[in-house]
Amino acid sequence: MVEQQPIIEARDIHKTYRDGQVAVSVLGGANLALKHGEWLAILGHSGSGKSTLLHILGGLDRPDDGAGAVRYRGEVLSFARTASLDQYRNKRVGFVFQFYHLLPELNALENALLPAMVGKSKLEWFTGMRSERQRASTLLESFGLGHRLHHRPSQLSGGEKQRVAIARALMNEPEVLLADEPTGNLDAATGDGILGVLAQRHKAGLTIAMVTHDASVAARADRVVRLVDGRVMEQ
Amino acid sequence: MYAALLANRYLTTRLIPLIAVGAVALCVALVVIVVSVMTGFLDVLRASGRTLVGDVSVTSGIGGIPYYAELVTAIEALPEAEAATPLIDTLGLLRMPYPEGKQKEISPVQVWGIEPASFARVTRFSESLYWQPPRDEAAREAMLPDDPRLKIDASLFANGLALQQSSTGRSGMVLGMHVSAANKRTHDGSYRQLYGWFMPAETVTLTVVPVSASGRISEPKDRSFPIVNEMMSGVFEVDKSRVFIPLSDAQSMLRMDNAPMYDTSAAPDASGSFPLIGVAPARATRILVRAAEGIDPNTLRDAVEVVYQTFCEGITKDPARLAAPPQRPSILTWEQQLRDLIGPVEKEREMMRVLFSIIYIVCAGLILSIFWAIVIEKTRDIGVLRSVGASRAGIMWIFLRYGLVIGTLGSLAGVGLAWLVVRNINAIHEAIGRDAPTASWVGALALAAACLIPLLSSARRAKLLPILLWLLSAMTLAIIGTGLLLHKGTLIWDPAVYYFPRVPDEVDWNTAWLTLSFGILFSVLGAAIPAAKAADTDPVEALRYG
Ligand SMILES: Nc1ncnc2c1ncn2[C@@H]1O[C@H](COP(=O)(O)OP(=O)(O)O)[C@@H](O)[C@H]1O
Ligand SMILES: [Mg+2]
Repeated sequence: MVEQQPIIEARDIHKTYRDGQVAVSVLGGANLALKHGEWLAILGHSGSGKSTLLHILGGLDRPDDGAGAVRYRGEVLSFARTASLDQYRNKRVGFVFQFYHLLPELNALENALLPAMVGKSKLEWFTGMRSERQRASTLLESFGLGHRLHHRPSQLSGGEKQRVAIARALMNEPEVLLADEPTGNLDAATGDGILGVLAQRHKAGLTIAMVTHDASVAARADRVVRLVDGRVMEQ
Repeated sequence: MYAALLANRYLTTRLIPLIAVGAVALCVALVVIVVSVMTGFLDVLRASGRTLVGDVSVTSGIGGIPYYAELVTAIEALPEAEAATPLIDTLGLLRMPYPEGKQKEISPVQVWGIEPASFARVTRFSESLYWQPPRDEAAREAMLPDDPRLKIDASLFANGLALQQSSTGRSGMVLGMHVSAANKRTHDGSYRQLYGWFMPAETVTLTVVPVSASGRISEPKDRSFPIVNEMMSGVFEVDKSRVFIPLSDAQSMLRMDNAPMYDTSAAPDASGSFPLIGVAPARATRILVRAAEGIDPNTLRDAVEVVYQTFCEGITKDPARLAAPPQRPSILTWEQQLRDLIGPVEKEREMMRVLFSIIYIVCAGLILSIFWAIVIEKTRDIGVLRSVGASRAGIMWIFLRYGLVIGTLGSLAGVGLAWLVVRNINAIHEAIGRDAPTASWVGALALAAACLIPLLSSARRAKLLPILLWLLSAMTLAIIGTGLLLHKGTLIWDPAVYYFPRVPDEVDWNTAWLTLSFGILFSVLGAAIPAAKAADTDPVEALRYG
């Protein structure tokens, strides 16, 4: 099922944080190819730069100037053009974070709908609203949240919040899900449930890049790479 | 789309932005109320100015305009003019009928000698006569039961209009409403007479000093006049000093009437008199002109100017005439004449507008600080929005839109509030003018006492915020209650300070819309700075630390 052509490919990524006079190199020439349809786990201990790498893959962060390139389906992501990066984040990838990051003023359904609202003009939104809402509720229902659609995040448990976050990430039907320690804030059983949801989606064809520091979580993936000293090591 | 949703949610899920809405509303209302009242005041001033002097006036020096009747006829022949009237304007001393005893009060007055019939055609003299029966049933209903106008003699009005006491045939005088110190305004704007000094039942003595064209002063002249009515123009400055007498009386007292002229250079005849040359013409010092319907006062002034030149040349060239009219009288529109009165008020209004623009900055600053706090609180959410593809412009728009909503709601509420206050300003003024009803202060004090119960219970739970809030409510209510208890009715709008007898109660819609727009504009401007900060937020940092 895994095609050989990479859907996202990162080449020789360098990322340095500058804190006053001190420069901290987090990524020093990382290479990574995320193949179409695979579930990749990026393993590394805390502070190794996993999140940084994932953000760069998702067009949220950018590598040091001229140091490395990210390709999506063979096309170079231009980090200088913010509009195309916004588009990329909206349509091509979906992020899931360790701390869910739902908007507290919106209910579960509205949180899930957010990428659809962001990506559409007013007219598009109003003409397509019905079907979008339908799709968002179906998505949430498939995650067992049918009875929680109109609840605010503060009324949801950690596992439920993370499911809403996954629904949000999948709302615009991206090909790639970028998950940053999706189970990091959950107990083992709940985390397992979340991994089950990811596995189910993966089976349906979703490409997943998942960052974790937990080897047992990484074991659920097709392939595991390790981030050591700012470089990616095949396992 | 998400911008609208989030802006609305930010508005409805917290209390602080509502305070901003309230603050914007109060600022806008304040500006609209104050400027509306001042604009209304200016309108009153203008209207009464026009009421008093017509549209255009021709004013000569102290010597007056001889053959003025011909000028009046010529002006009235103009298609631009509706009517014209001559008058004499001088200063005098009025010996009032009060107090009891030999020593009477003397008031300096401005005397207008008028031809009542034509004067009423040019100005609104008949409307301004105070002592007239109620015009209709509605006006009668509106009067307080003890209003003396309900019981006055019907002849008063006719006497005032004719400046003549019909019972005796004597020339009468009309006084400005505030010339007599015995006239006291009540809350509804009507008048009562102190110690029963009802002016139209009294007689006064007027003293004037004739001044020759060369400025030489002759023996003062006095004459007594029965008061036939009183007049209220609405301009306090006028009402406190102006009196009207018939033009012919003014002319004879000031020696400006027709007079035989003798040749004093010739030898006197047998009886000792000099030979008669002719009759020196009577004079008037001013001609007031009213414009025909739809004619601009400036147009009329230009036309009058031309007529005057022709009139002046005609007389000057005619050797049979014994006097020449002044070459350059001042010919001014009512607005030019009232410049001194209107100008300062207009300036005051502009100053108010400028001062109040500071209020807009306060609004903007308030919104800025509230939004700044919200943007900081929402940093993480901004990162989240960016991670799902929201653009920087989109993020900025959330907060601009939020400011727009607050500004619009606040400004609209402010205009609404201003409308309510301005429409009811006379009722409010009247309520302030009365003692507070007992129920109001008893109620306020009772509520203050009632606040002590939750105050004590929250004190037992040792919660500081409710303690403070209840304490503040109790104190505020207690202060209001005490204030109401101590409040004694006072007339705030003392006509001696504010020229107008009634507080203007029309909203100045031009100002209202302008203020509304500025309220919205400055709210958005205040929101712009935090919005820009939000747009500049780095999404990675926002997600990591926000
Ligand atoms: N803005 C920043 N300034 C300085 N150092 C940073 C900044 N952001 C991240 N870092 C550092 O970069 C390293 C990698 O961070 P991160 O990618 O979050 O690691 P991980 O996700 O693997 O824990 C950490 O040591 C972190 O402290
Ligand atoms: Mg991390």
